Amino acid sequence: MASPAVSDYVSGLKRPDDIDAFWDDVLAQTAAIPLDAAITHDPLRSTSQAEVYQVHYTSLDRVRIAGWYARPANPPSADLLPGLLIVPGYSMEPLIPKNWAARGYAAFSVAPRGKLRSNGQFNPGYPGLLTHGIVDRNTYTYRGFYMDACRGVDFLLSRDEVDASRLGVTGHSQGGGLAVVVAALRPEIKAATSGAPFLCGFMDALELTDAYPYQEIGDYLRLHPESRQQVTDTVAYFDGINLAPRITCPMIFNIGLQDSTCPPETGYALFRAISSEDKTLYDYDGYGHDASNHTHGRVIDEFLAKHLEP
Amino acid sequence: MTSRTNTKPENFDSFWQTVLEELASLPPAAEVEEIPLRSTEFATTYGVRLTSIGPYRIFGYLSIPKSADGGFPARYFLPRYGSVADLVPQGSSNSQRRDYVTFSICARGQRRSDSPYAASFPGQLTDGIDDPATYIYRGIVADCCRGLEYLAQHPAVDGTRIAAIGTDLALITASLSSLATHLVCTPVTFHQALERAAATSAYPLEELNDYLRLNPDRRDDVDRTLSHYDLRWFAPGVNATSLLMAEAAGGPLDGAALAPMAEDIKGDALVRESENSGYRDGVFSELWLTEQLGMPEPSLPPHWRQ
Repeated sequence: MASPAVSDYVSGLKRPDDIDAFWDDVLAQTAAIPLDAAITHDPLRSTSQAEVYQVHYTSLDRVRIAGWYARPANPPSADLLPGLLIVPGYSMEPLIPKNWAARGYAAFSVAPRGKLRSNGQFNPGYPGLLTHGIVDRNTYTYRGFYMDACRGVDFLLSRDEVDASRLGVTGHSQGGGLAVVVAALRPEIKAATSGAPFLCGFMDALELTDAYPYQEIGDYLRLHPESRQQVTDTVAYFDGINLAPRITCPMIFNIGLQDSTCPPETGYALFRAISSEDKTLYDYDGYGHDASNHTHGRVIDEFLAKHLEP
Repeated sequence: MTSRTNTKPENFDSFWQTVLEELASLPPAAEVEEIPLRSTEFATTYGVRLTSIGPYRIFGYLSIPKSADGGFPARYFLPRYGSVADLVPQGSSNSQRRDYVTFSICARGQRRSDSPYAASFPGQLTDGIDDPATYIYRGIVADCCRGLEYLAQHPAVDGTRIAAIGTDLALITASLSSLATHLVCTPVTFHQALERAAATSAYPLEELNDYLRLNPDRRDDVDRTLSHYDLRWFAPGVNATSLLMAEAAGGPLDGAALAPMAEDIKGDALVRESENSGYRDGVFSELWLTEQLGMPEPSLPPHWRQ
């Protein structure tokens, strides 16, 4: 059980008055760019249960974004499929979502800009991505990175076999933070799961943990102490805690109380900020950044099955 | 299904001796440059470039404590499977750099060591896998050995306290080089890989299934190659005091599965089964290493100090 100092932690984050206008404008800029999706069957990665495709589409700044799309090889009926967007961790490569396809989902796993296969036009590297352009909300990496993830919804909606009324998003770590972002910015999302969410409580985390990746920001501020206010102002627009009030869909979270990568204090602060009436937080004592994934996976499966009906 | 990985290849020792000789024939030609952005008030960070077999230039992050002139224990972080090699492992305490020299090598194909060869993930695990001599891991193993050589000769390092830390590559490197005095290894891929791949659809082992689904006629070749990279055959070469981090009981790489490997290790070897908790496993590993290297305090991140 978490101590009150952890579960009642109050973030020092301020919500910019114009945050909704900022993101509505970025979304509009993105929507004005044709998706121009290209999809290629990948026989190497396909199985008897899942057809796998390599996908590319255009996102903000006209950056081409890659991803893996998998759908059931032999769907039991001609009914439309629920769509599931899988968003990746910070330094991991996006997974090929064959297991989700085998369970009846049309699943898309996106590689936002800077990740392998999406780094031809933009490649700040790791470490580095977290602070690229961080002194200006209009140049910060995550402005486009968030849109790349959100465009995954557009890709799923472009598929004839996907039911537009049954879209979900799931992710862990940075993927947990991106799940918050996509659920906040894309009202088409009907259910979301977030594990050990990163990108929530950026500046709080700098004080709560000395571990990377958040320490990338610490490194940056050590070299550029004069930029602290600009950095603070920028990340306020990108912080999942500030985007959480926009979320109204059912959503579950899992955090580990001994998470040294994404401090649990920030997970509690995020959870309190979510507007959804149907929300549940699973806080696991004795677990770190894994947030008890080995048992919580079943909870995620059941939650998504309940809301998306594969 | 029977597999060659259950039998040590006859040419196993000569195969790897050839690799080491090839590496030894190439000067490391180290280039060292400070990276101010990653330096702290307690440690200076450098980017190091070295020549490995090929020849091929590889990169590593080196961190040296500022507190004294030398004699520091060293943590050598071997690459995990993926494009990114971190300065120190994600989630671990950055304060470890106060008391230890740390060196993190980016093997060929990973970021910063990706020119001219940029690996695909998935994809790297089967790159050149039809022949042990063309398999990409032949060069990757050499990269890891080169990094250890560089670290061990660094004047800031206490050569009696060098820990190789990582997944399969940590054990393989500790086997091929006697410079690692301690080993913390979490086997994940190169032990009975084909047999375990047949029972999973999870990557990276699924890469083997993908490859053989499309190329079923190459199974014997793949099996033969993997037999040259199986941890079981490297274990007898390990003289380091070792901690093997096993999967939780019942998993394919649980304590029972790793016991034969541990018995073959020449140094003292302990097998510890996972509790499926990165926190509990991480604390155990950190305390073990602290004691083994004779350090007064473990380097634990704030949320692990309970």
